[in-house]
Amino acid sequence: MNKLLSEQDLQNQVDKLPDEMTPQRDLWTGIERAIQTKQQDEPLFESSTKKVFVPAAWAASLIAAVLVSWVSFSPQQESIQVVQNNGTLLNLVIAMQDNFKQTKQTMLVSFGQPNVSELPQEIQEELLKISSAQKAIEKALIKDPSNNDLLNLLGWTQKQELDLLTQLYSPKWQSI
Amino acid sequence: MDNPKVIYIENCAEHPIVTSPELDEERVMINLAQQGDQQAFYQLYQKYHRKVYAICWRMLADKDSAEDVCQEVFVQLWQKIANFRGESKFSTWLHSVTNNIVLGHLRKHKNWLQRIFSIEEQTIQEVPVEMEDSSGLSILDLHISRLPERARLVFVLFAVEGYRHEEISKMLDMAVGTSKAQYHRAKGLLREWVEI
Repeated sequence: MNKLLSEQDLQNQVDKLPDEMTPQRDLWTGIERAIQTKQQDEPLFESSTKKVFVPAAWAASLIAAVLVSWVSFSPQQESIQVVQNNGTLLNLVIAMQDNFKQTKQTMLVSFGQPNVSELPQEIQEELLKISSAQKAIEKALIKDPSNNDLLNLLGWTQKQELDLLTQLYSPKWQSI
Repeated sequence: MDNPKVIYIENCAEHPIVTSPELDEERVMINLAQQGDQQAFYQLYQKYHRKVYAICWRMLADKDSAEDVCQEVFVQLWQKIANFRGESKFSTWLHSVTNNIVLGHLRKHKNWLQRIFSIEEQTIQEVPVEMEDSSGLSILDLHISRLPERARLVFVLFAVEGYRHEEISKMLDMAVGTSKAQYHRAKGLLREWVEI
């Protein structure tokens, strides 16, 4: 029967483990091929931007579609009354939008006032979808400014737009 | 005159910048690779791929997966090398990049049963470890590869790579106590297996 190795002996063996091992096959050829393929496929923006961009824009479009139909089919008479009763809350919505516009402007200035129209068509369309979603939510909020879900949605779409602008124009991230 | 191994290029009392011909060359290679020079990137690959492969092999305990993940590390490194700002040593940065990619690979390839029921793979490989192994790996490495996955990961991260249990618990999404328990389990098994 084997004697049990002492902790110290085990540690000594661990300390002696080599910090390098040689792979049995050539790895560089595959790496080189992958690098070249990625370079050819790489569009103007990194794929990570697109990965986040598409779901955000998709979600915003969906919200917009739902809200537009909701606004179109809900009774007008009731909404006027609600607006009158919720003047203060409406001011909150206006303040949110003002604050968003100001933040966006400051952000764009800090990125050197990039020209959004120079973005690829596909990305411009996605930004447009987010903007449409915001407008639909605003419209819905005019009818029902006390609706917390709508307020949260508005905040969410605003944040999405700011996040996307950051991803598109800010310097690249610092670590993997 | 012999070249000194380490040269003080800027001997500021508080923060002397220590350099050596080797480090200078590495900085140049990193800089060139950051500008898209593939030849320089190849030099970095030549210098580090054995270290990266060793980390991958120990954590994955499988030659083919280790080779694939090692390739993945360098493909991702090519894409992200511009983010390296020299705030830490390149080798340290690459080490943590490698760990992240290996752990990401393990998460991605966890089988559906483990995902749903959080079942830890308990099996211990019964393959006897030959004293003279043709792959050239050390006996201890071969025994480490027989450990159950979580015990192996904790052992490698703690004992071999020098991470603290607090760090490991975050990396592996487990409690600190679990990390310690897995380490003791691994240590116990290895002490049994490794012959004196």
